[in-house]
Amino acid sequence: MEIILIKTTAEDHHIAKLTALAIGLHLLEAVFPSPLPGVKPGIANIVTLYVLYEYGFATAAWVSLLRVFASSLLLGQFLSPTFVLSLSGALLSLVALFLAQHLPKKTFSAISLSIFAAFAHIAGQLIIVRLWLIPHTGVMYLIPIFALAALFFGVINGLITANLLTNLNSRLK
Amino acid sequence: MPKNTRLAFNHKPLIGDWLVIVASMVAVAVMFQQFWSFAPASQLKIRQGNQIIGTYDLNQARELRIKGPLGESIIVINNGQARFKQSPCPNQYCVHQGWLSHAGQVAICLPNQVSLQLMGAKSKYDSLNY
Amino acid sequence: MRLFFLFLLACLTASCNKPEPLYTTQSYVFGTLVDISIYGETDANSQDISNQIIREFQNLHNRLHAWRPSELSSINHAFARGDTPISIKPDLSAMIQDATRLSAQTNGAFNPAIGGLIEEWGFHHDEFAPKKVDENKIKSLVKANPQMSDIVLEDGKAFSKSSSVQLDLGGYAKGYALDIALKELNKVGVKNALINIGGNIIALGKHGDKPWRVGIQHPRKPSAIAALDLNSGWAIGTSGDYQRYFELAGKRYCHIIDPVTGYPVQGVQAVTVLIPPQNNTGVLSDVASKPIFIANPENRAQAAKNMHVENYLVIDSDSKISISPSMAKRIIWLDKDAEKHALSIQP
Repeated sequence: MEIILIKTTAEDHHIAKLTALAIGLHLLEAVFPSPLPGVKPGIANIVTLYVLYEYGFATAAWVSLLRVFASSLLLGQFLSPTFVLSLSGALLSLVALFLAQHLPKKTFSAISLSIFAAFAHIAGQLIIVRLWLIPHTGVMYLIPIFALAALFFGVINGLITANLLTNLNSRLK
Repeated sequence: MPKNTRLAFNHKPLIGDWLVIVASMVAVAVMFQQFWSFAPASQLKIRQGNQIIGTYDLNQARELRIKGPLGESIIVINNGQARFKQSPCPNQYCVHQGWLSHAGQVAICLPNQVSLQLMGAKSKYDSLNY
Repeated sequence: MRLFFLFLLACLTASCNKPEPLYTTQSYVFGTLVDISIYGETDANSQDISNQIIREFQNLHNRLHAWRPSELSSINHAFARGDTPISIKPDLSAMIQDATRLSAQTNGAFNPAIGGLIEEWGFHHDEFAPKKVDENKIKSLVKANPQMSDIVLEDGKAFSKSSSVQLDLGGYAKGYALDIALKELNKVGVKNALINIGGNIIALGKHGDKPWRVGIQHPRKPSAIAALDLNSGWAIGTSGDYQRYFELAGKRYCHIIDPVTGYPVQGVQAVTVLIPPQNNTGVLSDVASKPIFIANPENRAQAAKNMHVENYLVIDSDSKISISPSMAKRIIWLDKDAEKHALSIQP
């Protein structure tokens, strides 16, 4: 039996650890019942944002998508509606981050990016809900609630990320 | 993999963040105004002549045939909306009305004496002036 | 799970509404829908009163039918023959007198004597089809100049000085019926009701602790453009090109005909008037929108003034909306575009 050795760097290990952390947070959220179905804090996004700042967009996209696939496999939801919702949310959220990363860093911190990502995430999910899961005009009624939740958790997650990055920064100095 | 250049971070939201937060709040407020300004309908009341043919849940896809003095009017219910699909009347105003989806909306076919009325938890008015 | 949430939301909002003492009924009279809502009475009581009102409406409709054998059509036949005066019932005589007075007040824009023109345009049928009119016929009908003032009412008899007079009370009867219904409701002691005859609405009392609220139909969409509170005794009426019309070669021909040209009015989608309580509120809600509908845009304010109408709303064919200042204060826009494009009319 041949053993294929893949060369890994310390950074790869770090990214793997971060992905594992994101998966952990994702699972944690999945276990706790949410007061309103579909309204979730999305704490795993903190990791995505953190990776975006520390390792760049490509790595963040990897971590985010790996997290979506791995978590759904672990939860037995792979290819289920929940997975599709997660994926569409994550994809749109990455698009938002891809665009928002070019904003001047002196004026826009992780908080702004977190809010954009949260809105994009919910938009991605709602599009799937409207087109596929509940093709009913009543879904429109839910948009403001989800948007409000996205704003709230977007700010919280953004604050956490910004502080994480600051602490880390000061530790390294 | 090269590390990104270190960025300037701050504990507190930056000026741009505040802008984003305020703009988002406005956007959310507008969404509430836009999407909650109408009551989505939940039921369809169909009348023929002086009789109520029935009240139907809008959350389904089905087709109904209602007999009137001119013939059969075909009404479609499709996931939150309803409309006249076909009517034996000459002017076809009812068919041209298209989809109804808000509580209080009405489509009337006078020649065939069939009317559709969408009912919600709360209509915005008691009666319609037309 | 989202379905569940939707369901929960629906239940929550629904459960807030306790059953209220509101009785509603709907029937077909005057070739249109009649809605009666009565608040605060027992259902049995409301049903009796509604049935009584609908019977009266039906009776009135049968007597005033313009193109089936009726009291009105026999009078029209007599007018056309131009021979001896025909006997007429006192209430119909009073209606004709009232309509004559209103026709003069609108400078002839409201003219129930042009039944011949309406017939030629093909609107004297329950089911009318696109019709290519005979231009010469229209010209001669206009030239014959039928006027309400040609009608002579004496000793319970009616006679017309012009054989061209053909009565059509289509723009009067529904309003008249609203006034009758209001009197009937007052007589039997009903305090709160809302009567809707083909879109013309009169209010009595309130809907619980709130005024009755009515929606105003968007002339081109299947929804309401606006809503307003109709206080006790007030009535609302709309003339629209979307109620009775046909399309021929891409052009819309509506049932509102300008007596001066003999042709359907072009360029206006709808005129809505709001009439305060008086002894003929219903009739005014039916009649007063017509002269504004027919008038040129620059003459609308004067046309409204002639009818003492302060509250009105005009929607032009290019969807431009003009609204009188006092109406603007009452209206609640439901259509966001309409709200943006509404212009105040300077009196």
